[in-house]
Amino acid sequence: MSFFLLRRTGGLVLTLLAISIVVFAVMNVLPGDPALTILGIDATDDARAALRVQLGLDDPAPVRYVQWIAGIARGDFGTSYSFGVPVAGLIAERLPLTLSLALSGTLLTLVIALAAGLYSASRHGRTGDWAVMILSQLGIAIPAFWLAILLVLLFAVNLRWFPPGGFPGWSDPLGSLRSLVLPTIALAAVQGAVLARVTRSSALEVMRLDFVRTARATGLSPARVLWRHVLPNALVPVITIVGMQFAGVVTGTIVIENVFYLPGLGRLIFQSIANRDIITVQALVLMVAAVVVLANFAVDVAYALIDPRLKARLA
Amino acid sequence: MLDVSNLSVRFGDAYALRDASLTVHPGDRIGVVGESGSGKSMLAQALMGMVPESASMSGILKIDGTEMTRATEAQWRALRARRVAMIFQEPLAALNPLRRVGTTVMEPLRTHLGLSRTQARARTLDLFEEVGLPDPEQRLAAYPHELSGGQRQRVLIALALACDPKLLIADEPTTALDAEVAQRITDLLVRLSRDRAMALMIISHDLQVVARATRQLLVMYGGDIVERGETRKILSAPFHPYTRGLLAARPRPQLARPVPGTKRPRLPTIPGHIPALVDLPAGCRFSGRCPAELSRCRTTRSTEFRTGTGLAACHLLNPAERSKS
Ligand SMILES: Nc1ncnc2c1ncn2[C@@H]1O[C@H](COP(=O)(O)OP(=O)(O)OP(=O)(O)O)[C@@H](O)[C@H]1O
Ligand SMILES: [Mg+2]
Repeated sequence: MSFFLLRRTGGLVLTLLAISIVVFAVMNVLPGDPALTILGIDATDDARAALRVQLGLDDPAPVRYVQWIAGIARGDFGTSYSFGVPVAGLIAERLPLTLSLALSGTLLTLVIALAAGLYSASRHGRTGDWAVMILSQLGIAIPAFWLAILLVLLFAVNLRWFPPGGFPGWSDPLGSLRSLVLPTIALAAVQGAVLARVTRSSALEVMRLDFVRTARATGLSPARVLWRHVLPNALVPVITIVGMQFAGVVTGTIVIENVFYLPGLGRLIFQSIANRDIITVQALVLMVAAVVVLANFAVDVAYALIDPRLKARLA
Repeated sequence: MLDVSNLSVRFGDAYALRDASLTVHPGDRIGVVGESGSGKSMLAQALMGMVPESASMSGILKIDGTEMTRATEAQWRALRARRVAMIFQEPLAALNPLRRVGTTVMEPLRTHLGLSRTQARARTLDLFEEVGLPDPEQRLAAYPHELSGGQRQRVLIALALACDPKLLIADEPTTALDAEVAQRITDLLVRLSRDRAMALMIISHDLQVVARATRQLLVMYGGDIVERGETRKILSAPFHPYTRGLLAARPRPQLARPVPGTKRPRLPTIPGHIPALVDLPAGCRFSGRCPAELSRCRTTRSTEFRTGTGLAACHLLNPAERSKS
């Protein structure tokens, strides 16, 4: 197990380095002069040239890359061109919101998927199964931002149960939770619909296996057979998809944050791109990639935790 | 304890089991033999109330006096494991791969008998001891993939015994095991049946297993029980043409030698092949393949007649038929 962790951690670091090179390369071939962003169009050519030297922008690309990475290793992501404050601070301010949204979205996705998928599988071929299949087809077909707007119209504008957008700040915990409800639902509905189908087909496959027959022959109740015997065995494909979907959830939060005016990383990415704030965008893209890679790492570890056969092979 | 008469399992018009009748007393040891598809597993599943959803059951099936043919799933659940228990062919597949075998065996003890964790654990250790698992303490924490085939089958037997059933059905319990292990498992089943006064039903392709373990025999073909009686007597003096064919077709080492003048060992088989369920003749299921067939066999089914070794459903035994010829 520890060897497995070591090897996977090594792979993780290499993957992140590779990603950082790609991100850096892409951001640096994009047109746009940071000095122009910072000083504005009224600045003289001399002033811009001086600033470029000061920012190290005239150094060769490999040198700038190494400086960037060395900075990140120290926790220094550079200084935002448009906000004029450290990028690390900008991210630290907004990360909790985005992470909360991504986690609550994933959690709700799982709840929807496991409940609907298992219910559907246990009613295979009957009305309940069809109902879930049709609903999930709808869920897959609806774009998340459109669902978000519908939710706002219904629950915020008409019923006034939840705020239509904005975020009161963590000092108001209850208000914060309330303002995360609709974004979470918008985020989870689509992913939950996809995952429910995966859960259903995985459970149906497991239900055909001999040990499920043994469990039935032991006189266990259908609910017990389903939750204790079928579900754990059906979980491996489900977790694989969760890991893959996590990338979708993170990009989904970018869209959703903009629909609901939530001051998270998604909003920051939008603003930074609009401002040609390359150094901030660079850091954010790397962050998002890192989160996705870490999620997949977590999935690999989860496999080993679920399946003792795998654990034995990795030991 | 088990009283079955005219029990049938149908898929639409096709009978997977037709008018089966049998009685099981405590301590009985019954073998069920027959070619693949003859309805052996269907009989076992019917006795557990576990026939496929697409099948319909009819007839009378009394377990401890209670009619179960039309019982609900919940009523069946109350009997499974506690009255009738079952073990299956492939012991690796029959165990949940993600669970420690101790947890698996403790589960019915806790849910059905309401034992506490420590009580269930102690009881499981006793069961492991009883079925001859070495180092029961250590086995509790083992996963199925960490055990040998014989050990897995012993775990499944322990699981089946957990709630002290009155009848244990073993559907091909030894097919996946090598000969020596198969013999030990067979002997274990016999010993358990004796010690617990528990009835035992062994379904097997292997006539040796049946000969070794059982005292009564049911021979099945095409969903019918065609012959029954004492195992030893039937194996030495079969009456029904199907039983004779089945015994003649059994692989025996001395027959495996090449017949002089030919290259291949001569392995007698029953001529013809088993028709699909829907294509079975309406009368005797064996007509069409039977070497001693009478004209009426195809359309009318014979009742059971005495054979000297037991009973067989065959027109050849009908006194009226005999006086004709
Ligand atoms: N779900 C089903 N739908 C239709 N027919 C079925 C179904 N399950 C079993 N059968 C049929 O019922 C008949 C009896 O099957 P059964 O499994 O009892 O045979 P068996 O004697 O146990 O054979 P084997 O030795 O191969 O295990 C077979 O012809 C089989 O095709
Ligand atoms: Mg069978």
